[in-house]
Amino acid sequence: MLEVSDLSLHYGHHAALDHVRIRVGRGETVVILGANGAGKSSLLKAIAGIRAPDRGASIMFDGRSLTDLPAHQVLETGIALVPEGRGVFGDLTVEENLALGAYAMRARAHAAESRAFVYELFPKLRERSSQYVNTMSGGEQQMVAIGRALMSRPELLMLDEPSLGLAPVVVGELFRSLGRIRERGLALLIVEQNVRMSLSIADRGYLAEAGRITGEGTAESLMNDKAVQQAFLGGAA
Amino acid sequence: MLVTALLSGLVLGGTYALVAMGLTLQYGIARIMNLAYGEMIISAAFLAYVIYTGYGINPVLGLLITIPAGFAFGYVIYGVMMKPLVARARDKASLEIDSILATFGLLFVIQGVLLVTFGANFTSYNYLNVAVELFGTNVAANRLLALVLALTVGGALYLLLTRTLWGTALRAVAVSPASAPLVGIDVNKAARYAFAIGGGLAAAGGVVISMYQTFTATSGVVFTMKALIVVIMGGVGNVVGALSAGLILGVVETFVATYVDPGLTLAATYGIFLAVLLWRPSGLFGRRAG
Repeated sequence: MLEVSDLSLHYGHHAALDHVRIRVGRGETVVILGANGAGKSSLLKAIAGIRAPDRGASIMFDGRSLTDLPAHQVLETGIALVPEGRGVFGDLTVEENLALGAYAMRARAHAAESRAFVYELFPKLRERSSQYVNTMSGGEQQMVAIGRALMSRPELLMLDEPSLGLAPVVVGELFRSLGRIRERGLALLIVEQNVRMSLSIADRGYLAEAGRITGEGTAESLMNDKAVQQAFLGGAA
Repeated sequence: MLVTALLSGLVLGGTYALVAMGLTLQYGIARIMNLAYGEMIISAAFLAYVIYTGYGINPVLGLLITIPAGFAFGYVIYGVMMKPLVARARDKASLEIDSILATFGLLFVIQGVLLVTFGANFTSYNYLNVAVELFGTNVAANRLLALVLALTVGGALYLLLTRTLWGTALRAVAVSPASAPLVGIDVNKAARYAFAIGGGLAAAGGVVISMYQTFTATSGVVFTMKALIVVIMGGVGNVVGALSAGLILGVVETFVATYVDPGLTLAATYGIFLAVLLWRPSGLFGRRAG
């Protein structure tokens, strides 16, 4: 469904991405593992249309090129991004954030239906629907960010470090919710530092290092991979 | 005397609020600090004057012409002058400087056209200049109408921004421009419409001013300054803040003029402005959008 190849991205002279090639199949959950500065966020931003990649990059989604589309048009093709730091509208209410989630043309007619799913997934948001988002906890704000992205009826949901800064018990809840989203048939592309959690819900994974993809495999093989264990899973519980 | 002062304060404040709401949209959403804003107000005042004295269309009915004209002017100016600046701006700060310089130039272009067309004389017309008794005091009907119009337009704008998806999207651009594209909002388009709506509000403000004040081709800068003070007081991008701050400023100015000394009016205005800048730089009302 998503085919990325030859994706390079420079910030001045610094190469954030170097000929990256990844693929996400329909309904597939793919995780990208890598240290800070490996270019994982840049990859999601390039796909989402927030950062323009270098010339020669190819980003195809359902046979359509996204390379020259601005972010608001990429969303219309069915790709939603939950950015690092969540990017919610803190000065607006939960309900307003969700309503804006369905601002895209593809989503407007189905807003009520999408909202029902989001509230079923995150019942807490229904209780807090008229609360201003910047008065909520980090975990709740992450629910708003994911709920808002789901309102646009994406076929591919991208999440950039969704567990960052959340308490362990909240992270568990978060990944259970992501598992339920996956069951709905959405494809997920997740950049995550919590390797064990993300591999547990993933089908496949890529290893990223200094802007390059250095390895890939099924979630199971990566979990058992010596190098991965050493780099990401060693010592930590 | 108290009721008289309060009423004229509210009339003046309603006018300030009306013009400030347009500036707060242009600055808060489109990120353009429009120094030619007052000239857009005065242009509308002259337009109202022409269609009333020349064609016999009363200024209230004339709003059907002046507001769309102001909107169209804002829409075109954004497309011709601001869009290239936005496209080349590296960040918010450089856009701010560029737009200040560009609109500073626009100020004199518009003022020049007005001077050539209408001369430098004080202009006014007589419309509903009759006394109405209200709360035991006499008020000119045109002043009362000015207040009603200001509150009506302000209320309508508030409903547009808070009760419609499109208005909510505009507020989203005001509070988090970087996140707006994530939900499919075209920020440049939103900015253009916000700037155009600001032009429509400037026009409405100009018409209201022309109904009860005399004005000249060069009096625009006063309104830009007053509007800017109200915008900062209310919080940039905050329409309800602008409405409240405008009314407060009008009442304070009138009270100072009535009970202290008319010569201190401007001093009081800038005193408030400095106090807000020093102690509540994000505005009197905290929250930024709404």
